[in-house]
Amino acid sequence: MRQGGNKNKAFSLKTRLTRLKRDSNRWSVFTLAIVLFLALPIVFIGVELFSGPGETWGHIVEYLLPDYIWNSLYLVFFCSILVLVLGVSSAWFVSRFDFLFRKQMEWLLILPLAIPSYIVGYAYAGIFDYGGSMDLIFRQLNLDFVRIDIMNRAGLAFVLSISLFPYVYVSARAFFLNQANNLLEASKMLGVGEAKTFFKLMLPLARPAIVAGLVLVLMEVLNDYGAAKYYGVNTFTTGIFRSWFSLEEPQTAVYLSALLILIIFALILFEKWQVRKVKFTSAKSNSTQIQRKEPKGAIKWGIFSVVLLPILLGFILPVAQLIYWAILTASTVFDFRFIVLSFQSFGIAITSAIITVFFALLLIYFSKWSALRFIKNVARVGVLGYAIPGAVIAIGIMIPTLALDKWLIKMLGNFGIDSGLIINGTLIALFYAYAVRFLAVAYNPIDSTALKVDNSIPDSSKVLGVGNLKTFFKIEFPLIKTGVFSAVILVFIDVMKELPLTLILKPYHVDTLAVKAFEYASDEMVMEASIPSLFIIFTAMIPVIFLNKLLIKR
Amino acid sequence: MLTIDSLSKSFDKGKNYAIEDVTFNLKAGHVCAIVGESGSGKTTLVRLIAGLERPDHGSIAMEGKVIASLNKFVQPEKRKIGLVFQEYALFPHLTILDNILYGISKVKHKKQRAQDMLDLVGLDDMGSRYPHQLSGGQQQRVALARALAPEPSLLILDEPFSNLDTMLRTQLRNEVFDIIKKTEVTVLFVTHDTQDALSVADEILILQNGKVIQKDVASNLYVKPSTLYVASLFGSTVHINKNLQNAFRCPLKETCCHAIRNEKIKVNPSPDDFDCEYLTTAQVIKKIELGDSIQLLLKLESGEQLTVITQDKNIADTINIGFNSKDILEFDQEQ
Repeated sequence: MRQGGNKNKAFSLKTRLTRLKRDSNRWSVFTLAIVLFLALPIVFIGVELFSGPGETWGHIVEYLLPDYIWNSLYLVFFCSILVLVLGVSSAWFVSRFDFLFRKQMEWLLILPLAIPSYIVGYAYAGIFDYGGSMDLIFRQLNLDFVRIDIMNRAGLAFVLSISLFPYVYVSARAFFLNQANNLLEASKMLGVGEAKTFFKLMLPLARPAIVAGLVLVLMEVLNDYGAAKYYGVNTFTTGIFRSWFSLEEPQTAVYLSALLILIIFALILFEKWQVRKVKFTSAKSNSTQIQRKEPKGAIKWGIFSVVLLPILLGFILPVAQLIYWAILTASTVFDFRFIVLSFQSFGIAITSAIITVFFALLLIYFSKWSALRFIKNVARVGVLGYAIPGAVIAIGIMIPTLALDKWLIKMLGNFGIDSGLIINGTLIALFYAYAVRFLAVAYNPIDSTALKVDNSIPDSSKVLGVGNLKTFFKIEFPLIKTGVFSAVILVFIDVMKELPLTLILKPYHVDTLAVKAFEYASDEMVMEASIPSLFIIFTAMIPVIFLNKLLIKR
Repeated sequence: MLTIDSLSKSFDKGKNYAIEDVTFNLKAGHVCAIVGESGSGKTTLVRLIAGLERPDHGSIAMEGKVIASLNKFVQPEKRKIGLVFQEYALFPHLTILDNILYGISKVKHKKQRAQDMLDLVGLDDMGSRYPHQLSGGQQQRVALARALAPEPSLLILDEPFSNLDTMLRTQLRNEVFDIIKKTEVTVLFVTHDTQDALSVADEILILQNGKVIQKDVASNLYVKPSTLYVASLFGSTVHINKNLQNAFRCPLKETCCHAIRNEKIKVNPSPDDFDCEYLTTAQVIKKIELGDSIQLLLKLESGEQLTVITQDKNIADTINIGFNSKDILEFDQEQ
């Protein structure tokens, strides 16, 4: 027998190159092109670093940068603690115990995600302000109002935590429900008590899931602009805005963006490291459901209140405050112009959702049709935009497209055409930015439904003589429709809520509900911000309830 | 009709090979079974042939044309190969008739052709149903009809019966191959079950760790297996090692490896009517009733343990066992 002869030959450089030539097809090229297109804003931030910092950079480093770093770390630290306590405790209680309204509370706990953080911020400012809701209630009760000042770092940490903890809740709960039952039973059989089971067994095992949720929260914390601006806290994001709009120094914005990206990558590395450390939890999901305990007496009410508290703080209170304001301001805010604005906002959200989902589909299927295996990993790079704050993406798009726009004006001017800003004067830049930022939101549900379709299904179509594209339209698309539909809805919600990126890239005459709410709040008309806010919340709420099952399955 | 030359495929850049240096030919109209344990590379081999994987080395040619090599690759949809997947892979959102119609192109009477295929597999009144409304056996036949409908020059069946229980399996296997015989298509039939292979294949290819161990007609594989592994695939076999050679006092060639099938070991031939060339005594450790026969676990004087099967119900505690030199299998190397 010939042994090993061909073995060495098969992976020599020469045969590898021959195969690379054989296996490169147009799908490989298309995938690379799309990834490059999506990564362009980040690449530009990197390239622009070489042009050196702006004039004010020295000033910022000396006076503001310590503040940015310190505040961002403060927020990261305290938000982590708060969302972990709120998210993990509520997830554990609803998966382990049965109590009054447990089923309703299970999905109510997700609802805070329907309210953008900045809107929660406005509501709480109103609740604690002089002449605010608390003040009124205290006066009604003839009590002295002790004002709690929340317009500061601590208040911001509270507001961000209370609106973002559901990310941790959802992923921790999914772990407790899907993976934990056999372990729980084993622990019970060993005679271990409830508290020890939780702290010694469930918590360490759920750590990768919890960390995954936490990292999402922290990315949102670093992404936030609206709440930090309103609460007067200087963060990296507010710094980027200040250098862009007030100081008019794009280079400084670029440098701040680059620093922020570094922080985000540190977070991602932290997550990867945490997940790697606890690989053993990736066991197959357990088909049996957790058997819920029914606690009695004081414990029952204790658990009930612990679970109710985040719902109350994260959803009921802010919404109540907004509704109260809405009633007061309805007559002045709710007019024809507002209806037009709402439709405009929906239109932008739905269009960008469809564009984003389209890109996600291209990326998923082109990389699948590419015969080169590394292309699949390359495709995942295109998804990284979810980690990059909206303001950073906006800067990364604005700089190159403005240059392109200027060039186009000059070129078309030669032909006597007055084109104006083709990319930045229209919605093109905005749609591009949404696609970069929210690609992961579309990619993940589609990819997971696509994974459920066994490979043998498209394979058999190909063996039957049908090419990739036709196979996609006739076989694969009908089978992943639900995933595509939920992807459209999820991106739609995110675009409706999006603020920083929209503020930077929107054309002058275009507004969204989020921008309108922000503008009212910035103009000392926070009460008027309630109606656009409620519109956002209700549009986001219906799909959140609707997608509840899907989120939990993930 | 199908020529495969030193075909190799690795999924980890050459550290391990799923398929290594596989070479064989398949004649038109033949049914060839590929037999191997799970992980032996059977599925990878057929996926390479179907064009669902790309080879790292070697080539595949069909009807004289290269369809895969280092610098050439014909897309699966251009290969005219029919493939029946282990899990059938019927399109769940299409009716049975639409499933079968799917691969038929450039034929004038498409509908008629599809209906003919349904008739052929005996499901003529099921065309409007959906896959999930059919039993496993029926789905299997639809998958076969769908694969045959575009008139492929080669039909590959990848473990088509492994999802079925034993009773249904034999029945369906016969049905399926009756249908296939009518079409005169060349067939590659992947299985881990030697019974499946023996009952339908003209020739059998044995795959172990991605390599072809033996390719031969069925009867030869039983009589002249090329390795101990192949021998044991077609019935339980005892390796006659040095200790056994001493126990039976049968000196054998040292450069070769020898074995005897358990069924060829004779139990209790009394020393008087002695028809075994090699003989020894053994102690019965355990008897296991198998209905019409008994399985015996024996211990030889040398300490070696051995299982044999006998019809004789009256077994003493110490018995004689033996075998003849004509039943000894000889292999080139020890596997």
